[in-house]
Amino acid sequence: MKLILSALSLVLLFAGSPAFSAAAQDDVLELRYENRKFIPQTLNVPANKAFKIKIVNASKEAIEFESYKVNREKVVGPGETVTVNIPALKPGSYDFYDDFHRDVPEGTIVAK
Amino acid sequence: MNTRRSFLLFALVFLSYAHPAMAQLDPWEFEVYGYQTVPRGMLEVESLNSVVLNGSRHGEKGTSKGTVPSQSIWRTSLEITYGLTDRIEAAMYVNLAKPRGDDLQYAGSKWRLRGRLFDQGELPVDIGWYFELAYKRTPKYDDQKLELELRPILQRDIGDFSFIVSPKFEKILVGSEEKEGWEFGYVSGIYYRWMRALSPGVEFYGAIGMMKHPDPTRDQQHYIFPVVHGEYRGIEYSLGPGFGLTHGSDRTLFKFNVGLEKYIGAIFGPSNNPLF
Repeated sequence: MKLILSALSLVLLFAGSPAFSAAAQDDVLELRYENRKFIPQTLNVPANKAFKIKIVNASKEAIEFESYKVNREKVVGPGETVTVNIPALKPGSYDFYDDFHRDVPEGTIVAK
Repeated sequence: MNTRRSFLLFALVFLSYAHPAMAQLDPWEFEVYGYQTVPRGMLEVESLNSVVLNGSRHGEKGTSKGTVPSQSIWRTSLEITYGLTDRIEAAMYVNLAKPRGDDLQYAGSKWRLRGRLFDQGELPVDIGWYFELAYKRTPKYDDQKLELELRPILQRDIGDFSFIVSPKFEKILVGSEEKEGWEFGYVSGIYYRWMRALSPGVEFYGAIGMMKHPDPTRDQQHYIFPVVHGEYRGIEYSLGPGFGLTHGSDRTLFKFNVGLEKYIGAIFGPSNNPLF
């Protein structure tokens, strides 16, 4: 038990170190949600490089940004802004959607 | 892959110990919790089910912790979970059991808080935690009355694969074994993201008994469940057969869990703190 707690403490301690906070220095792309659509609909990103998406929900309804293939989901309340870490992606297309409103057109992350 | 190797090494070290005691495993909950919590403001209702297809005809054997034998028992747990914040969820469970030739009966209740630290992908391994209290006044199913369970949750995503390792630490707070120490078990899984509606995985559940005096290897319980899981028309599911790997385990089980999520409104705003 002590061993595991010590290991966890070490992980948390090193979490703030430069080597562990590479994600903090990644590119940030902005994605807006308003009038029941994502703007822009396509996010072009370099392949094999982690990045962040700043999601701005400019609508009056809560949304859930979700991408099954990228394994990310995040609720964004009306008027809220949240940031999601996206791992380095292999070249390809990765769809994302508002899981609360499946009739909203899906967006795509294109990594190349 | 390193996570997988570490898990196997960890399991082998514990399997090598040998002293008599009673291994514990929660047969009402064959579910692996990863790093992700139920999203903020979401209510999830789940039905967790398992049937022992080939178990023991005697109590206190296999997955039975009381006098009711495990053979042909259907265990079902109703779980309601709410996403309190982006990082913490609260849940309560009602456990029911239907032994062979008997009616559906109450078998205990549980309350749980589960959380995650930092944002997903911020650390090399995503870290979560699990705190549970189980209350039982049903000695035929479990003769201990109040039990505490703590788990760290470690998840690492590599490409389309997710590796989840979650060691379990349990302590009887009220009951005949309240003076005993901590028990150890594990809940782990490897999943492949294929399609949202259908994806394969392998789950591992086990209990070795007391940390200081693990059960003899043959009396410990270790199970492997090849599963399929996914979401179809808003209904999440996970199902598959389970196979006991030791003499002390039930031989064959089948699990089938279904859940439904609905956004009902958030109490708190976005989490800006890495801890909650």
